[in-house]
Amino acid sequence: MEDKKTERIVVERISKKFDLHFRKQEGALARILSLLYWGEEKELHVLRDISLRVFSGDSIGIIGKNGCGKSTLLRIIAGIYRADKGIVKTNGNIIYLTGFFNGLNDRLTMWENIYLVGAIYGLSQREIKKKFDEIVSFSGLNDFVDTKLYQFSSGMLIRLGFSIVIHCLHQKNPDILLIDEAFTTGGDIEFQQRALGKMEQIIKSGASVLLASHSLDVIQKYCDKVLWIDDGVIAKEGKAGDVVEAYMKKYGS
Amino acid sequence: MGNWQEIERVLRLSFSLAKANFKVRNEGSYLGIFWYLLEPLALFVIFLILGEVINVDIGYYPLYLFLGLIMFNLFSKATTEAARSISDNAAFIKSSKVPYEALVISRVFQFVFSHIFELVVFVVFMIIFNVNFFWIINYSFIFIVFFFFVLGLAFFLAVVGVYVRDLHNIWRIVIMLLMFLTPIFYFSREGFLITEINFYNPLFYFISIARDFVIYHRGLELGFFIGSILFSVFSFFVGLFIFRRYKYKFAEML
Repeated sequence: MEDKKTERIVVERISKKFDLHFRKQEGALARILSLLYWGEEKELHVLRDISLRVFSGDSIGIIGKNGCGKSTLLRIIAGIYRADKGIVKTNGNIIYLTGFFNGLNDRLTMWENIYLVGAIYGLSQREIKKKFDEIVSFSGLNDFVDTKLYQFSSGMLIRLGFSIVIHCLHQKNPDILLIDEAFTTGGDIEFQQRALGKMEQIIKSGASVLLASHSLDVIQKYCDKVLWIDDGVIAKEGKAGDVVEAYMKKYGS
Repeated sequence: MGNWQEIERVLRLSFSLAKANFKVRNEGSYLGIFWYLLEPLALFVIFLILGEVINVDIGYYPLYLFLGLIMFNLFSKATTEAARSISDNAAFIKSSKVPYEALVISRVFQFVFSHIFELVVFVVFMIIFNVNFFWIINYSFIFIVFFFFVLGLAFFLAVVGVYVRDLHNIWRIVIMLLMFLTPIFYFSREGFLITEINFYNPLFYFISIARDFVIYHRGLELGFFIGSILFSVFSFFVGLFIFRRYKYKFAEML
């Protein structure tokens, strides 16, 4: 069966550690002085020996406590971080989704923001123009196209952000979709339901989906397979129901 | 930048980001463009007055001065902003998979936009001082060479800015020193120490060629021509190389 599907992500025994003594963005003088002595190195192993294979059409949930390495794993696959050890191979275009407000600028108008965020997600001006009306009507903000975002309520921002992102996803049609806690949107019930519908549509469109979330309901509903990461290692992987059950047994009430 | 498609994507994104930044800076005022021009124009007036004391014998001194000023302005603004382009966008870099090159290029583009307005003012000056303004066409060549020089330096400074927080303080001083070192408001004559030093100053090459081409219509001096191209190619490739070597660390360092 597997040979019919394309292999989208191959992760082989990757490890990642962060240097805890690392001092962020020091001044020039401190940098030069710090070259003169070496302190004791203290490292935090965020991921150890993680392996993973994802085929087209798979949707895999990733669960685990805060700080267990979920985001780090997704960022390594997305190419934002580099693994210290191991091999990461991906095949196809990747979109890494952490939120719906990335790149929005509150001092620009709504239409300027649509073009800006569209460009950030890699759409050409022509593609954005084509999607523009759809984005506006999906958000339901037709009257505010020329309004600057600082006048938007938080609900309006959610509507706008989500509409832009989801239509960009639709246009880009990613082969690999990495979703980091950005599944549910907020907003009113009516919008939430429409948003969920769109999200389902994207997830089921044949992309390989990796979904990191604390919402076990969402994981169980949309993922066939679940990966439970505990303290940087895979604690359990397998069918969604089984893994979630084991996870609940350990931490849940 | 592996292939043309990727380069096209980076340039498109850079352009969109630059446009957005440009709009934000000029928000709500039709005088927005004027703010960009204020600094070079103010310096122009001061040095024009000062020029009476130090430079009586430079032909077309106002044009000589203004062209030097606006080229230096592009250099100083673009590099200063580019030095912060990565470190200012920490949250953005951690949460999206964007080509980081675009963040740097967009800053340079943003000041290329304002440079175009400065050039319009320069053309007006050319008309006023009765110089054939058609020669501004010659600027396009030197501008491209200059642009890649600035861009390469911008890439390099963006990387350093990630590691060294107070880079902008250091760079501000470097800019100030260069402002006086480069013959912008004076003429560097043979046999002075400053002329010797300027032999190693890339800005001197670009600005001299631009003046010779656009204002004085002199033929090109081969040494200057080769020198400027060497500086430009060196800066661009070394800057880009360093940037691409270190860009995988940005998300972790910020």
